Amino acid sequence: MKKIRTIATILAVLMAVMLATACAAPAPAPVTPEEPASEATQAPAATVDPNAKVSIIIANGKGELTAKYQAAVDAFSLEYPNIQIEQYTGAVGDPVSILDKLMASGTVVSLAMLEPGSVDTKYADFNKVDLSGEAWVDDTVFAFKDASGATVGFPFAIEGFGLIYNAAVVDNAVGGAFDPWSINSRDKLIELLGKIKASGVEFPIAYQTEAWSVGNHYSSMFLNQADDPASVVKQMTEGSFDLAGNATWNGYYETMSLLASRDYNKYGERPLGSYYDDAHVSVGKGDSAILFNGNWAFDSFQAVSGEKFGFMPVPVDNDPANPLNNKICVGPTQLYVINADASPEQQAAAKLFLNWLVESDYGKNWLVNDCQVISAFANNPNKVTNPLGGAIAEAIAQGRTMPFTTNYVNGADYFNLLGPEVQKFIDQKITLSDLATVFTDYYKSLG
Amino acid sequence: MKKKHLASKVGNQLFFTTPTIIVFAFTVLIPFAYGLYLTFMNMPNISSTLTFNGIENYITAFRDVKFWKALLLTVRYVLACVILVNVLGFGLGYLVTSGLRGQNFFRSALFTPNMIGGLVMGYIWQFIFVQSLPTIGRQLGIEILRLGWLGDATLAFLAMVIVTIWQMSGYMMLIFIAGFVSLPKDVLEAASIDGANGWKRMRYVTLPLMTPSFVITFFLTLRNCFMVYDINYSLTGGGPYQSTQMVSMYIVQKAFMESKFAVGQAEAVILFVVVAVISLIQVSIGKKREVDA
Repeated sequence: MKKIRTIATILAVLMAVMLATACAAPAPAPVTPEEPASEATQAPAATVDPNAKVSIIIANGKGELTAKYQAAVDAFSLEYPNIQIEQYTGAVGDPVSILDKLMASGTVVSLAMLEPGSVDTKYADFNKVDLSGEAWVDDTVFAFKDASGATVGFPFAIEGFGLIYNAAVVDNAVGGAFDPWSINSRDKLIELLGKIKASGVEFPIAYQTEAWSVGNHYSSMFLNQADDPASVVKQMTEGSFDLAGNATWNGYYETMSLLASRDYNKYGERPLGSYYDDAHVSVGKGDSAILFNGNWAFDSFQAVSGEKFGFMPVPVDNDPANPLNNKICVGPTQLYVINADASPEQQAAAKLFLNWLVESDYGKNWLVNDCQVISAFANNPNKVTNPLGGAIAEAIAQGRTMPFTTNYVNGADYFNLLGPEVQKFIDQKITLSDLATVFTDYYKSLG
Repeated sequence: MKKKHLASKVGNQLFFTTPTIIVFAFTVLIPFAYGLYLTFMNMPNISSTLTFNGIENYITAFRDVKFWKALLLTVRYVLACVILVNVLGFGLGYLVTSGLRGQNFFRSALFTPNMIGGLVMGYIWQFIFVQSLPTIGRQLGIEILRLGWLGDATLAFLAMVIVTIWQMSGYMMLIFIAGFVSLPKDVLEAASIDGANGWKRMRYVTLPLMTPSFVITFFLTLRNCFMVYDINYSLTGGGPYQSTQMVSMYIVQKAFMESKFAVGQAEAVILFVVVAVISLIQVSIGKKREVDA
């Protein structure tokens, strides 16, 4: 009995000591304040032993590719057995990013996937390596530069958005092969909608109105009225841009009202609601013909139909010569950045992984054929087979693309602060003038 | 001898309680203390070096109109759910202990919704509200069902309440069943002999004796409804235009999406205080009303 008590006491003291030690564990080393946070750090001189064992952690976005990432990591590890990669991928729809979770737990992530809009905002303090010296930079026009002009982002995925149409329905309505670029004015869109209705489709549009869609994507398109969308953002922030009197701004919302109207929209009577799935099922099956979304929507379409889909521009006015009426928004939506706080060996391993993705046959094939991601690199001969990805690749080839404007705004703010206001406009709770005031005030608050 | 006795007593107590204390400390106490510490720090980014910020985060939280709006909405939701869940749970508990034919089947069937996770259930009901009910509404000409409920601020709120009732009533029913079956039969018999009819027996005998059950069910519904997140996230997503965004969802948005970590944490602490105070008041009032059989 005495023995048990002694053991019990020792055990209890041991546990208490363990607890105290755990509490007193030193916090991860803070970022040195002297280091300029927003500027990319030049990589340390490469005195790295290529055969030395090194472990790196990758935090990925695009949760739908979780299994694919692991396959790539396994293939890379076979080729480079000295590099051990642990990859984490955020689940689709998880509001807390996997990178935040890892960083909050003090984990050093060597390679992180970020959305371009977050590079200079949410992750401004994430110490990024300058990648301008990397070989792949010459193979792409989509290498991402931060606010200081340093090349920090490896473009992982090229995506685009616009008005998606079900080709079978539209071909039937126009009586032949439909040319999406023929819709280069609002009147021509109205004419097309009329033809689709006449062909027996009661509601040609299934307009899903999630905040990210009507906010981050639709409501950033007006930035493309300048060759450099950042210049409009700058004017907005300075308060020198008259939004309420701006023709492009007003034009896009006139088109939005058309898309959401009772005449054409399946949900016109109550345009808000959780219609994402239903809208994609409707257009996928051909009950409706058109919705506003990006190439990622194919995941939803292919569940109901394998038919052909394509993109047409979102017309902003009735001028067929307006470039905005003749292009769709396309750009890099996911970037890999390398953490300058990782060790030189880890940085070198992360660089090797990125180069392997671009240069190796496995990497080229994996990205395009396995993941169905449009490659940002000219040296990749593969073409995605899904029709929406194909339509974007074709638009790039024809020079019918304009910047992916979501990359120029703070995604979290557009989703949480501005998106719901746009929804109020759609639901006619506020006027367009009210909406202009909300946007103007928001940008002024950033100044 | 006395000293030795004390040491062995402490040793025995530690032997049994230390594992629990450690787990409780790691999962509750330490995160709570660290969370409290964060509310006094400036944390502009997840990787930022923390600097002392005084009570600035609390001031920002108190001035955050949207936070108070979400809290007020949550209070409305809590009131609706606490009343309806308990009334329904009590009623169902009464029915399935009254000798109803097939009552064991009903007990299991009514409890089943509680076995479904909140997220999954939210998505199932989203499908029902967006697709099934409008189809039924169109087919049968029921105007209120014809359009999806989740696109209207009032109806979406109602949808939240309905789904919560559906999920929680069965669980509360189970607690009430335990209360009903342990009611002393002699007291009920005595009341009947004294001439108390069904309603009077319920009002003056059953209800007072069921107070311990009510204390538990009220506490559980209060706490669960104040902290609701999963159903909110999957059913309405806080929409339309954040009109159904409850306070927990707002705090997650503030902290993790707007990256205002410390302010979000301060708002979480305020929510904790509000829920703790309300729960303590409710439990203490409930305990005072308890009667011995």
